Amino acid sequence: MVEIYRSKYYSLHQAANERAFYLDLGQKTVRMSLCQLLSLRHKVLSISIETHFDSDLNKHGFEVLMLCNKEHLFILNTLEIIDLKNLVEHGFVALGLSAEKETIAA
Amino acid sequence: MKDIARQSMSIKVESMDMLNAQIKMEAHASATYLAMASWCEQNGFFTSAKFFFKQAEEEREHMMKIFNFLVDTGGSPISPEITNINHDYASIVDVFENTLEHEVKVTKSIHNIVKKARDLGDIATERFLDWFVMEQVEEENTIRDILDMIAITGTEGVGLQMIDNQVAKWIE
Repeated sequence: MVEIYRSKYYSLHQAANERAFYLDLGQKTVRMSLCQLLSLRHKVLSISIETHFDSDLNKHGFEVLMLCNKEHLFILNTLEIIDLKNLVEHGFVALGLSAEKETIAA
Repeated sequence: MKDIARQSMSIKVESMDMLNAQIKMEAHASATYLAMASWCEQNGFFTSAKFFFKQAEEEREHMMKIFNFLVDTGGSPISPEITNINHDYASIVDVFENTLEHEVKVTKSIHNIVKKARDLGDIATERFLDWFVMEQVEEENTIRDILDMIAITGTEGVGLQMIDNQVAKWIE
């Protein structure tokens, strides 16, 4: 398995023989296809970090993230979300699928 | 290292994001034209209603074209959530003026994606959008022609009825 990118808390790996990716989220490692990785990217980049600084919009400063067709559930705090955004952005650049370091979700 | 990511996906994620935004825009246009068809039906402009029903279908076809392109390239198309559809118009002229404004917005958006795809070196996306660029020329021209016809006919007396009848020319 080859490490694609490592952020402060998380790391993304590629298993070429399985044609899969592994996302190490600390308490759990999740196996993903590229489609599932794209879905994760969409979810993570769609999170508005600004809401974490407004107690009316996000009272506790947590995000519930469900991955791989609701097979996995994670509860992440503000710093973890910022780090995951960083991992997704740089991970896709390292994979050669993104040309920019700062991508914008649709 | 085997490039699994590139083997699974033929376009850049930035292009995918822009095309997903375009899917949403086309879906919004389709819903807007459906609202216009409803307005036309309620206000006695039955030929214009037919025109907008057809336009709504066309916009949905455009959306599906992009959706299927993302499927074909290994991307992740997102089914759009559509809100804020205007159902209130002051007149039939207002309806067509809004239509032209909407088409100009769509054209600008398509051109923007073409430019960015070119910057990214994403030739597949750039070439795919060739059809949309020409389609928008046609769409804008149709609405401009209708607005010209309205200006010549005028809205006084039987003008409104004549306008509605003449819209039939633009229903293929």
